[in-house]
Amino acid sequence: MDRTGQVCIEIRGVYKRYKSAQEDSLSDVSLDILQGDVFGLLGPNGAGKTTLISILCGIIPVSSGDVRFFNNGKAYSNAERKSRIGFVPQEYAFYQELTPRQNLDYFGAMYNLSKSKLEERREHLLEVLGLEKAADKKVGTFSGGMKRRVNLAIGIIHEPEILFLDEPTVGVDVQSRNAIIRYLQQINQSGTTIIYTSHHMSEAEEFCKNIALIDHGRVIAAGGLEHLKTAHAVPNLQTLFINLTGEAYRD
Amino acid sequence: MFKLFSSLRKELLLLINDKVGLALMFLMPLLLVFIITIIQDSAYKMVNENQIPLLVVNQDKGKEGEKLVGLLQKSGLFKIDSQNSIAQESLKSELLSRGKMIALYIPATFSAGLESNAEDVSGILMDDLGLEHDTTAREQISMPKLSFYNDPVLQENYSYSVMSVIQSYMSVIENSLMIDRMYANMDIAERSAKLKDRMISNRVGIDQIVASNNNSTAIPNSTQHNVPAWTIFAMFFMVVSLGSNIVKERVNGSFLRLKTMPTTFMVVMFSKMAIYVVVAALQVALTFSMGVWILPKLGLPKLSVPDNIIATIAVIFISSMAAVSYALMIGAFAKTEQQANGFGAISIIIFGAIGGILVPTFVMPGFMQFFSNFSPLHWCLEGFYVLFLKGGSWQDLRAVFAFLGIFIVFCQLGTYFKLRLERII
Repeated sequence: MDRTGQVCIEIRGVYKRYKSAQEDSLSDVSLDILQGDVFGLLGPNGAGKTTLISILCGIIPVSSGDVRFFNNGKAYSNAERKSRIGFVPQEYAFYQELTPRQNLDYFGAMYNLSKSKLEERREHLLEVLGLEKAADKKVGTFSGGMKRRVNLAIGIIHEPEILFLDEPTVGVDVQSRNAIIRYLQQINQSGTTIIYTSHHMSEAEEFCKNIALIDHGRVIAAGGLEHLKTAHAVPNLQTLFINLTGEAYRD
Repeated sequence: MFKLFSSLRKELLLLINDKVGLALMFLMPLLLVFIITIIQDSAYKMVNENQIPLLVVNQDKGKEGEKLVGLLQKSGLFKIDSQNSIAQESLKSELLSRGKMIALYIPATFSAGLESNAEDVSGILMDDLGLEHDTTAREQISMPKLSFYNDPVLQENYSYSVMSVIQSYMSVIENSLMIDRMYANMDIAERSAKLKDRMISNRVGIDQIVASNNNSTAIPNSTQHNVPAWTIFAMFFMVVSLGSNIVKERVNGSFLRLKTMPTTFMVVMFSKMAIYVVVAALQVALTFSMGVWILPKLGLPKLSVPDNIIATIAVIFISSMAAVSYALMIGAFAKTEQQANGFGAISIIIFGAIGGILVPTFVMPGFMQFFSNFSPLHWCLEGFYVLFLKGGSWQDLRAVFAFLGIFIVFCQLGTYFKLRLERII
């Protein structure tokens, strides 16, 4: 049965204020993210995107509010969530001294994959992400694009139901970016829900079905991409972004 | 189990790839043990086995100066270079130019002064005994002074040792002169030889007994001191490898990524500790093997391993846990790899210095001896010394285990709270 359209993440009235901070990093954020969606969390620097992704991934707690996860309408616990989500951070969060194969072996085991399943997934990902030839070379010697692909492979080794991507294509060439986006579209078509942040508006426009624009910790617009463009009478996402967040520099 | 195995494998791979860390952890202790043991052993031999080069300028007009030189020569401790024509004023420069470390200057009035003193002592004795003796007024010559010159680079304790040897021979000459003079004053000079011989040959001897609790324990020597000391030093130097390894994982987000995974951070930390405890055990095995098999082949004393193997393993384990825990804490607190490496290495050198690795704590001033109690290296060293030098028992190790236990708990808690503060745990 096709469950696309059911809510898989429900965010209600989430506030986040870091210790010693004067202002909230997130303020009254409420969103529904649908199963099978490609959901873009967009906003200028310091808007609160990474904070929201960190909360959704369980890295930091909310100050107040509620986040709930569902699968086919059935809520599941935080502990269960860890097996079902994948996280691809903005940083190269892996071991540069190890090879892609060794990195995947380690992180795959941390996701509780069996040895045989891990080997199967590892070889599949190395192939589809074009890392096969470099699979036994140290990642530290790789180009930015290759490192991004290793970073992605680690986040999806366990075939997560929900994948969080924080700027997955930052600092990579067009070829690597296309390869990454193409593969993400593939896994989305096979049922993975993707929550993604980016500063590339054209990429987000091409990739996302629904978006939330966040600024100063608040959701300033959310919904279907086409619907938002029509409602704000703008030709593209970049114009919508500038219209809603302004042209002033952000630190 | 597969998770733990993978985590251990990852730590092992990271370690193998850290060439600098490996060199510091395995090559450094071998070099340190090798170099320091050879240096200390040759210094020990220089005092006890080798002849000490001694430049002697004897300008004494009598026989006693010659007698002193003869005694020094006969002792076999010195390789004497007699240069009686050198003036005292130029002796300093001569000493330095001839490459000798020490020189002895015997003044012209040496014999006359000693004889005058012996005459005075003899006179006092004769008066006290009510015996007649020659009381004709004679010229009073003050007690002579020998001049001892040493190169400024020579260590003070070494100079004192040589001066003590000279002093002991001077006692023999002075006593002999006094006996001669007394017997002469009593007109029985020909009988003095028997008393002199008895006094000189029948002196109180000193038996050196090593205060160990075990009769079979090793004799303290440079190997027995240096192998454990520098092994501990190297163990703690794992801070450079493990500390920077943790900083990297914290900074690059690997730890945070792990937080999103269905795994406990305990697996990660346990793997790190397990691998580095094994590293410490290998360091011990390597340096001890060197002490047992390699050093004797180079003419150095053989390392004698303690009889109490279980206690030795326990001391190795708690020492390595202390080293690992310290490295974890430095890794948790340092903001950059450079900080971890710099602070970690310098702190180990300081801990080593105040802990008695570089110089023994008993020669330190009182306040430094107090501070040495705060060095984990001091307690690790104490643990090894209890076993290697004192043949101690479990009871003697209580303070070692107590202090190192507290240190380990302190470091582990520090690491835990810092990582918790960063929301990694």
